Amino acid sequence: MLATYAALARLAFQRYLAYRTANLAGLATNAFFGALRAYILIALFGAQTHVAGYSVQGAVTYTGLTQMLLAYLPLYGWWELMLTIQTGEIAADLSRPVDFFLYWLAQDVGRAACQFVMRGLPILALYALFYSLALPPTPWHAAAFVVSLVLALLVSFAWRFLVSLSAFWTPDARGVGRTAWTVAIVLSGFMMPVAFFPPWAEALMRLTPFPSLINTEVEIYLGIVGGPALLGALAGQLFWFLALAALSRLVLAAGVKKLVIQGG
Amino acid sequence: MTPIISVTDLRKEFKVFRHHRGALGAFRNLVTREYKVVKAVDGIAFAIEPGELVGYLGPNGAGKSTTIKMLTGILVPTSGEICVSGRVPWRERRAHVARIGAVFGQRNTLWWDLPVVESLDLLRHIYRVPAERYTRNLATFRQLLALDEFLHTPVRSLSLGQLMRANLAAALLHDPDVLFLDEPTIGLDIVAKERIRQFIQRINRERGMTVILTTHDLSDVEKLCERVMMIDRGHLLFDGKLADLLRRFGGERELVVDFADEVLDAAVEGAQIVERDGPRVTYRFARDAISASELISRLSARYRLVDLSVREPEIEATVRRIYEERLLDNDGG
Ligand SMILES: Nc1ncnc2c1ncn2[C@@H]1O[C@H](COP(=O)(O)OP(=O)(O)O)[C@@H](O)[C@H]1O
Ligand SMILES: [Mg+2]
Repeated sequence: MLATYAALARLAFQRYLAYRTANLAGLATNAFFGALRAYILIALFGAQTHVAGYSVQGAVTYTGLTQMLLAYLPLYGWWELMLTIQTGEIAADLSRPVDFFLYWLAQDVGRAACQFVMRGLPILALYALFYSLALPPTPWHAAAFVVSLVLALLVSFAWRFLVSLSAFWTPDARGVGRTAWTVAIVLSGFMMPVAFFPPWAEALMRLTPFPSLINTEVEIYLGIVGGPALLGALAGQLFWFLALAALSRLVLAAGVKKLVIQGG
Repeated sequence: MTPIISVTDLRKEFKVFRHHRGALGAFRNLVTREYKVVKAVDGIAFAIEPGELVGYLGPNGAGKSTTIKMLTGILVPTSGEICVSGRVPWRERRAHVARIGAVFGQRNTLWWDLPVVESLDLLRHIYRVPAERYTRNLATFRQLLALDEFLHTPVRSLSLGQLMRANLAAALLHDPDVLFLDEPTIGLDIVAKERIRQFIQRINRERGMTVILTTHDLSDVEKLCERVMMIDRGHLLFDGKLADLLRRFGGERELVVDFADEVLDAAVEGAQIVERDGPRVTYRFARDAISASELISRLSARYRLVDLSVREPEIEATVRRIYEERLLDNDGG
């Protein structure tokens, strides 16, 4: 069974590798906006050395990390599953003797791995070339960061999967999707670290799954969380993945039920 | 033998909701859910034995695809029963789909941006086909379907004919018990159609695979299937041998006779003269009224015949007539 999902991930990796020009163009855009965001943050700091626990170097590293994660997660949107529901191709995927959620998760892992290598790491390398980047304070933080990256992908996938299922019920699922991706970009701490928001907003954001997408990894990497809070941060990500995955399965079952009764 | 597929009193109704236009209409859509019921499949029953190759024939909108979707577990019937290899398709879907193959014409089940061979390799994992069996099957299909010319081409660049060939191979890699084909030749040119027909025939004959094939193209059925089931407006109108169907409704054969001289009284009881052109007379006669040999011997007893030929009725026209005149309605098939 594992071999099946491994094969799905491997071939998804290959598929994304084939989009060479798209990867290159995406990389250029990422680099441009990355430089712009670093520049704005540096200007914003002005004479201050620290803002909400971030040093200038920490803030620049923060933009580097978020730019690295942009395609990996993918924050700008994901339409693959939604399209198959809209075109009815989902019937073929549902007719395969595999678990439908894991079938897509495996392919998304392949996609993410490809985009991490093709788009994420080069961005980080460019950043390291032009700025002095902060490093995780301890090896524990580095290790936790890696775990956190994987958990962030899982949370992101479950969220995108759930949003895509809206296509079972509304002809305007794209609108739902656009809204959902925008919400995730803002609330995840992609635009601005969650700690930069007013305390009440920050408190509300931390009640949602979205900081698990970006903010958690960055705070771990920069050592803003440590000790028991570090494990708590990882546990929070895991919790959101499990919760969203469970909800996804329920909604999927309802969608499939509708599909097999009403037809495509 | 116990049937591999049995279907009893199968029905599928769709609710088609009325959509009102405009702003007020959008509101009405929300509050009143007006709909009408379409009876796509309206009480059909049949049984298919292992190894049969059955043609499921009917005009557009007859309910063929709806039947196939229920048989493959994609749709749940409104009522009635289906049993395929001892399983209820939609209730045990994972186990069911692992043992069947399905190809829907003009629909692709392979991954768009992967080369054909990679798609097949992925299916090998999904269906957990042992490596040795996979290699053997792939070699067979490469030869029978001439896959080599596009094995490394991305699926999105295939022609429709190549796409169907690739999908056929994909549907058969795991040696399914039953193969469901929904309009597998639709949109193909004659050469491509012929290749696919030959392939279907071979896997049926050589592997004993049970095949159900829907089509509105009679030449598919004519070339491939001994048994046809004819469906129209959700009803099974006929289930039996194609030859029997034609015997019952294609009774109007024609005999063209060239007499040695022009004859005055060419009339024969049971046959109707439809054309006279000098010494050449064309008769039309129904199978149950008079046999061809009887007709010929009566004529040759009276006159000297130079030449004659029997024209079989056109299957295409016959079936069209059955649909249009609804000849099979209410006779229970
Ligand atoms: N999902 C659906 N919703 C509503 N009506 C449908 C649906 N699928 C099929 N129908 C209707 O059911 C009838 C039979 O369709 P179908 O089985 O596709 O016919 P065929 O395959 O023989 O052309 C048609 O009238 C069609 O419009
Ligand atoms: Mg159809």
